[in-house]
Amino acid sequence: MSKEEQVIQQIVAKFPFLEGKLTNPYDRRIHAEPLYKEDFEKVLDWLATEGGFDTFHLVIGFDSGENLEFVYVLSNADKIILNVKQYAPKSNPVINSVVKYYKNCIWHERELIDLFGATVEGLPEGPHYPLPDGWPEGQYPMRKDWKVEYFDKNTMTYNPPAPEAKEETPEAPAEN
Amino acid sequence: MTNKKVVIPIGPQHPALKEPGCFTLTLEGEKVTNAVVGVGYNHRGLEKSCESRSYIQCLYIIERVCGICSHSHSTNFLRAVEQIAGVEISRRANYIRVLMAELERLHSHLLWLGVAGHIIGFDTLLMYSWRDRELVLDQLATIGGNRVNYGINTIGGVRRDIDAQNIEDLKKMCTIVEEQAKYYAQIALTETTLAARLGGVGKLSHDDCIKYGAVGPTSRAAGVADDIRKTDPYCLYEEMPFDVITTEYADVFGRTVVRVLEIFESVKIIRYVLDNLPDGELVVKVPRKIPAGESVTRYEAPRGEDVHMVRANGTEYPERVRVRAPSEANWHGMAHMIEGDYLADAPLIIAAIDPCYSCTDRKIIVDNKDTETQSVLDWNQLRQYSIDWYKNRGIDTTKIQIPEKKLYF
Amino acid sequence: MARNVLQKAIDWGRRKSPWLVHFNAGACNGCDIEIVDALTPRYDIERFGIIQRGTPRHGDVLACTGAVTLQTRDRLKMVYEQMPEPKFVLAIGTCACSGGIFADCYCVSGGIDSVIPVSAYIPGCAARPEAIIDAVVKLLTYLAQAQKAAD
Repeated sequence: MSKEEQVIQQIVAKFPFLEGKLTNPYDRRIHAEPLYKEDFEKVLDWLATEGGFDTFHLVIGFDSGENLEFVYVLSNADKIILNVKQYAPKSNPVINSVVKYYKNCIWHERELIDLFGATVEGLPEGPHYPLPDGWPEGQYPMRKDWKVEYFDKNTMTYNPPAPEAKEETPEAPAEN
Repeated sequence: MTNKKVVIPIGPQHPALKEPGCFTLTLEGEKVTNAVVGVGYNHRGLEKSCESRSYIQCLYIIERVCGICSHSHSTNFLRAVEQIAGVEISRRANYIRVLMAELERLHSHLLWLGVAGHIIGFDTLLMYSWRDRELVLDQLATIGGNRVNYGINTIGGVRRDIDAQNIEDLKKMCTIVEEQAKYYAQIALTETTLAARLGGVGKLSHDDCIKYGAVGPTSRAAGVADDIRKTDPYCLYEEMPFDVITTEYADVFGRTVVRVLEIFESVKIIRYVLDNLPDGELVVKVPRKIPAGESVTRYEAPRGEDVHMVRANGTEYPERVRVRAPSEANWHGMAHMIEGDYLADAPLIIAAIDPCYSCTDRKIIVDNKDTETQSVLDWNQLRQYSIDWYKNRGIDTTKIQIPEKKLYF
Repeated sequence: MARNVLQKAIDWGRRKSPWLVHFNAGACNGCDIEIVDALTPRYDIERFGIIQRGTPRHGDVLACTGAVTLQTRDRLKMVYEQMPEPKFVLAIGTCACSGGIFADCYCVSGGIDSVIPVSAYIPGCAARPEAIIDAVVKLLTYLAQAQKAAD
């Protein structure tokens, strides 16, 4: 049995709800399906402490429709990379920072706040990153519905076309 | 004891302008007691652009994430795309990618050597090492077509081939660069002024390197034997004969030694590639629409571990591209390295990690809380302050005499 | 229009020995290393009397690289305003000329001329040291001709 398969077996033995959700698509790579906050934190706690995945490379944000998805790229002493994923609903994208396990996650988590609009609780104080000062509040450029064309770089305002305009036009002739 | 707060913004500015990206250092006397790192001035938003471009168009953007390691980024990105598409490129294409990767490592390490020399006032080293670098750039330009951003890669392989004349010229270049590197190694290891200037500066211990996720020569200087070419091999590196260079110094001196010795290892790999270049096609056909999937690829760039993640969704455009350059990993350990050292060491510590030669832009604001005055220091003034500070303590790097060297031109 | 001897001497001094200030407005550093290359032995721009200075207050020529990011926009203006007249701006590299491939990125305002007036555009990715030296020599020649015409 390969090392990757051994690791998968170990994780599934500890967390039976992950049965069938871990794959080994390439050498030294294990991919997991996304989990919601509670389950994710249980799994991460074990991986970071007893599971041997004590090296953090980065966390990547994704816009996955109704949810924001966060992929944590971890590795163990055998240099196997494990992508564990967390879903957070866009309506309330609150996640906990993993700084208590990994000291080098800070800048990557700051990026999630600026670019995706996530709220990361537990991050130490510090400057925002990477967007410039003067960036309008509530504008998260890496979300799929945010379009560069509607952003005015001179005034730093986001001006999407009004959605009502399309609905009014068929009614207007009826009023006349 | 006056408690001064030294703010190092990135980019020249007026003292009154609020700076979003800067190093904030608190001084006690001349030592730094607290450092907060702030960056973000180079954020262009290219990951968003990649989502509306086809894969081959993305390649041109990814190549220009960094001009010094452009081949690293482009190879890493393409490996992720080729992995998702399930395509294996030919052995010849892999060997050519390795050749360009090692040439890039040579030019990058020589560049760093010169920059480090300039920071400490040893300008002769800058002139010598950059002159040698020109030989490497000549080869890169002959093979790739450009001195910087040599676009040798395409999806499925490489765009250009190397012929017998290229091989002969490369071998000549290797001999000269190796001889020059021996010379630099001799200076680095025996010149006492240099050792005094670099030694003990910017210490990041073995355990701290792992804790803060430092990568590349920074962590190898502390004894962490982590080189992606050995631990997570790619592009047929498992066939190449080379050693992972580590030292026990854990400071800027160690990083200098690691980089100089890695020059020899790169020359070894280049010679192996030239002697064992397999036959094969240059490009393998890859469909325009990459099937859904995702891949995380790692690459040993000259500065450390470069991680790319690509997620494909079955269309011509990627769903998401994330590039984590090696210097992003090194920022976390940076604050820890600067704390406890003298202000005079700050420029060298920053340069020892710094990926890009944007050092000319930096300015320092000294915020004296007691007198509520602010004075603005230029990067060049901080550099001069650091050179003079060491001169006053008997370490004068501007007076280093290096032995007469017969020039080969 | 004749100008007094002192003014001519000052102009000659400026023309013969321009001091270069290098500013990276958000580049990938490809063009920056080519500018530094121009100072090293093979190209040796110093033989034309061009010296690199850190502070804009002593600069004659501002060599800018990179597509201007929204963070560096104000800083670029500040540096330009700090430079004494007469001053000239070189936009080095394709990104500096027009924004290049990054022109439509959300954090990029465009080329250097979206912020400050540019005297010379040097395309290339990265612009070769020969092209940079060529541009500086052309600038000096143009200055010489402009002063002759003024006399």
